Amino acid sequence: MAGLLLSQSEKLFIVHGVQDDYRSDGRSNLDYRPMELETDLVDTATGSARLRLANTDLLVAVKTEIDVPSPDKPDLGKIEFNVDCSANATPQFEGRGGDQLAVGIANLMQAAYQSSQAFNLKQLCIFEGKQCWKLFVDILILECGGNLCDAVSLAVKAALFNTRIPCVKAILMDGGDVDLQLSDDPFDNKLLDVGTAPLLVTLCKIGDKCVVDPSAEEESCSVVSLIVGITGTPSCYSDQENLAEVGGKFSTIDMNGPGSVAPKTLKDAINQGIVAAKLLDKALAKALINERKENIRTKKSSYGFLK
Amino acid sequence: MTKMWTTKSFLTKTKRGNIIKIVREHYLRDDLLCGSGACNVCPHKDDELVLEEKPESICTLFDYPHYLILDTNVVLHQIDVLEEDALKNVIILQTVLEEVKHQNTAMYQRLLEIINNKKRRFYSFVNEHHKDTYIEREPGEKQNDRNDRAIRKACAWYETHLSICSVDGKFPKIVLLTDDENNRKIAVEEGIVCCTAKDYVENVTGAIGLIDKLSKNVIPETCSRDALYPAHLTPSQIHEGIRNGKLYQGTYRASRDNFLEGTAVVNGFEKPILLQGHIGINRAVDGDTIAVEIFPEEEWRRPSDIVLEDKADDPGDQLEEEAVLLKVAEPVDKSDEEVTPTGKVVGIIRRKWRQYCGILMRSKFPGAVRHLFTPAEKTIPRVRIETRQSDVLAMQRILVALDSWPRNSRYPLGHFVRALGPIGNKDAENEVILLEHDVPHARFSEAVLACLPPNDWTIPEEEIKKRVDLRSECICSVDPPGCTDIDDALHAKALPGKTGDGLKRYEVGVHIADVTHFVRPNTALDKEAASRSTTVYLVGRRIDMVPDLLSSNLCSLRGGEERLAFSCVWEIDENANIIHTKFHKSVIKSAAAMTYEEAQIAIDDKSRNDKVASSLRILNALAKKLNRKRLDNGALSLSSPEIRFQMDSETHEPVEVAAKKILETNSMVEEFMLLANISVAEKLAAEFPQCAMLRRHPAPPPANFSTFLKAAKQQVR
Amino acid sequence: MPGPDLLSSQGLRLDGRRPNELRRIQCKLGVFTQPDGSAYLEQGNTKVLAAVYGPHQAAKSKSLQDSVVVNCQYSMATFSTGERKNRPRGDRKSQEMSMHLRQALMAAIKTELYPRSQIDIYVEVLQADGGAYCTSVNAATLALIDAGIPIKAYVIACTASLAWKDGEPEPLVDVSHVEEAAGGVVLTVASMPSTGAIGLIEMSHRLHMDYFDTVLSRAMQGCKDIEVILDKVVREHLAEGWTKSDDAITI
Repeated sequence: MAGLLLSQSEKLFIVHGVQDDYRSDGRSNLDYRPMELETDLVDTATGSARLRLANTDLLVAVKTEIDVPSPDKPDLGKIEFNVDCSANATPQFEGRGGDQLAVGIANLMQAAYQSSQAFNLKQLCIFEGKQCWKLFVDILILECGGNLCDAVSLAVKAALFNTRIPCVKAILMDGGDVDLQLSDDPFDNKLLDVGTAPLLVTLCKIGDKCVVDPSAEEESCSVVSLIVGITGTPSCYSDQENLAEVGGKFSTIDMNGPGSVAPKTLKDAINQGIVAAKLLDKALAKALINERKENIRTKKSSYGFLK
Repeated sequence: MTKMWTTKSFLTKTKRGNIIKIVREHYLRDDLLCGSGACNVCPHKDDELVLEEKPESICTLFDYPHYLILDTNVVLHQIDVLEEDALKNVIILQTVLEEVKHQNTAMYQRLLEIINNKKRRFYSFVNEHHKDTYIEREPGEKQNDRNDRAIRKACAWYETHLSICSVDGKFPKIVLLTDDENNRKIAVEEGIVCCTAKDYVENVTGAIGLIDKLSKNVIPETCSRDALYPAHLTPSQIHEGIRNGKLYQGTYRASRDNFLEGTAVVNGFEKPILLQGHIGINRAVDGDTIAVEIFPEEEWRRPSDIVLEDKADDPGDQLEEEAVLLKVAEPVDKSDEEVTPTGKVVGIIRRKWRQYCGILMRSKFPGAVRHLFTPAEKTIPRVRIETRQSDVLAMQRILVALDSWPRNSRYPLGHFVRALGPIGNKDAENEVILLEHDVPHARFSEAVLACLPPNDWTIPEEEIKKRVDLRSECICSVDPPGCTDIDDALHAKALPGKTGDGLKRYEVGVHIADVTHFVRPNTALDKEAASRSTTVYLVGRRIDMVPDLLSSNLCSLRGGEERLAFSCVWEIDENANIIHTKFHKSVIKSAAAMTYEEAQIAIDDKSRNDKVASSLRILNALAKKLNRKRLDNGALSLSSPEIRFQMDSETHEPVEVAAKKILETNSMVEEFMLLANISVAEKLAAEFPQCAMLRRHPAPPPANFSTFLKAAKQQVR
Repeated sequence: MPGPDLLSSQGLRLDGRRPNELRRIQCKLGVFTQPDGSAYLEQGNTKVLAAVYGPHQAAKSKSLQDSVVVNCQYSMATFSTGERKNRPRGDRKSQEMSMHLRQALMAAIKTELYPRSQIDIYVEVLQADGGAYCTSVNAATLALIDAGIPIKAYVIACTASLAWKDGEPEPLVDVSHVEEAAGGVVLTVASMPSTGAIGLIEMSHRLHMDYFDTVLSRAMQGCKDIEVILDKVVREHLAEGWTKSDDAITI
């Protein structure tokens, strides 16, 4: 990205606006820019999603493999995040150029999904202590136009929502080995419970206040940003009305940038992040459920990149 | 042409135990032909109109013109009926074709043969790629149900397609043959005319014997009415049992001497498992892959040494008291070396049934249609068949196919396939030998004959230019008397000069008929030859591997005629050491085609000093040295004397059998053929180390000698 | 020897195509905003994204006095194949692919126009179902066109294989993964159909010289057919201008 040059007064305009919850492009401090989302477009994966937020373009695919659970957690499955920064995004990513950024995001996602309250790994268990599913969540960054972490977390959640785990029957054999039997019905599969899956919210500190989803101009006015991981709201993803309004616990935190934050601001920022994440989760759930309903009605052909 | 595009995805397990999703493209087309003469919509060419415009009905149930569509099981069970010329105008759907291919390759080949026979008017319709007949599997639907639905969809499509095409409202209808009751029910609801294969065939007029070929209806294993035998386990039960080590998989071998005894070799047991009695064998037939349950060690015993033949008359559907027959109560001495593990058959993994030759044992009751059939092969049980032609067939060798062995039947059920000829007739008995040994002996098909060069073929000039011209060499062949397929020839001559060690130098060549010039890879001729793989010699008849024009003319290195050959030419010193080897294609002209005896005389007759005799002498001298070397190298010399039949020149009946005389010349030819094989093998192994297939004989395991040792011990006593 | 089952007795391939038919082709130019040129191409189930940056100033170490430096990177998404790949690039296979890509594209780019400059061509295979290299070349060509970089002609790549029907050889165009996996020969040709020149040719397995010409001409015909389709898309794209429809779900 080419460096953006703003004059002192332009910066001041942005900073003052943010203090009054009014941003230069007309959004409030909690608003995201419009996003485009499509799921189920990679045939070779068990679940996939493509998300476009401003100029950021991501493709997330979930692949499943059979694995052996780790001895200390015999009833849990595994999940692994991998980020690949495609050189399509910028020539700087050529070769191993994008590795640092990629590892940073992958670790952040891994940390956010670590807690059992964020993502229940028990649903990936096939046979306790013997066999489990391992989910590989592969995130391909195709274009890099700001607010990467938030976009990644949204796309990952959408891809997991779209994932269908094949039903397998596990039979314990004499030697202690487990034999897996695969149903011959391709429709025999189960969906994952992703209600609590966390979203990452980047809060960009401008003046004393924070904004979500900063534009390039806003980023240049900020010295530090916080990334918080907030668990999702399962009620949004369920038809059951009586589900308690749980969720909104925060599962990871990270900081970026050269500046520093006062503890008071930090607390405010986290609360702001929880509110923003809830709104975001609701909107995501609505979009995903709508798309699923539509897919059942008509066998859709995916647009993918042809749109 | 417009193509529609869809994908099919399915899950599969990889070798490493991972489960992956596979996605395949699937194109749907609108340019696929229906093959019907009554259609004027599809752009058929003349030779693509397989189905008749006005098919004549031969079935009294449907007295209007119609085409038949079959489901997979009808094809699998009633292939013998289909092979009869009676049924015509049949549509074979791709769904069915692929299911048959998947389930039984032999049946698939037979079905393809019928389809390829233009006279039979069987049309294979690619319904799976037709845009109007392709269907996708629905959630919760079994693969079989999906295929049945696809078949019904194609039936409905044909019906409307043909009605649209028709100008005068007269168009052939579609009749679906299926034995699946549920499928018939749905078909009727959908307005598709259908009936069972049995009902259809039984109402066919003017085709005598067609009913005899009907495969007997299979009674499901779960049906226990009047059951004589315990039920077999289901495939998934067997699978699970084998996985957890409770059951074993093996191949059933019936005893030749005792019809109530058999064995199965399974992994993990040194000795074969002994299976005894009707219940222990539980309807396994020689060659079947079976699941065996092995009894605890206390119940192990030694094989009975009695001879027991199935009784001559049909006792009906009951099992005889077998304890008496088998003397099972024998005390078991654990130290007895002959005690073998025992067990029982609990399931059949795969039937290896083929068609069996034998004779019909007519029922005692006159006019009965159920008869017993006794196979020529002793290990195969007798078979119950239904036929209305028992008077004629009783005097004949006949061929019978096994259909099923339900639990309530003493004998397996089968049906008559065809008669081979009167008992004792030489041709009929020859046929029995060929069929029982699975020797393909049908006449060569048109497609194979089309690969042949014309009868008056001569070597074209440009072919000679490509090859080494050896026509001037004095080449001769040595074969048994009366041999018409001369595939090898030899030559030898002294070379001027001496080797470094001061030894004489000779040039020796082995020339093999170059069949590859006529049999090109992947042609029908190549495939046919591959499936025959050898020429079979019967007493009065030869079953050629390639058509006669090649085997006894163009690829026979006859004396005085120019022939194409592949040559291996050595430079050899007088101690039979190879100095130099070269291989090339060549053109040769054999100076003499001799018998072993003629060659021997030529060598021995001191007065002969012609070129042929002197080269034979060189060959003979070298052969002796080669033989010595080979034996010194540890070669094994097996002597199994060959026999010769003396034929009556007029009746072609064999009159005498004699052991072949072994002359020096026999071993001379053999020695050089071996040398050529060795040289070629060395060359191949050097040039293509990755894919050269060389044969060797590993040392036999000691167990192979146990029977021999046992017999030898008795001799000592 | 390829299995006889590549062609059914009715003359159709495993996926229902005839021997001379290409897979379905769908493509779009200008899918991204940041690169100077980009394109997305589907050939059947093989899906590729290509991006072009440049021409821009070349790094000092690489810079050439008389021509442009063409830099290619071929990368396959970890989820692009049936079994998951561990690395998207850097393995021997993708390095070879990068080199082959460069070889084919260099033949078409007017390299003499931009001395001391560099063009970066990045290819990302999203799904691989046979002929990933060909689809990559074709997508890169479209991305070059989108970037406005002068080329002599379309570089189009296509594969061909050989099947047998009734003992007669029958070449197959645009080989899919199942056909590749069947073990037959796969001949890959990158050519400029309008001039007839061949930029790259590569073959796996063995093929008898006698059949080389038939297989090659089938592959060349495939290149021609693909060019017609791509040329139509390019013309439509240019006529239309860069407009963006909005049918996807918006949050």
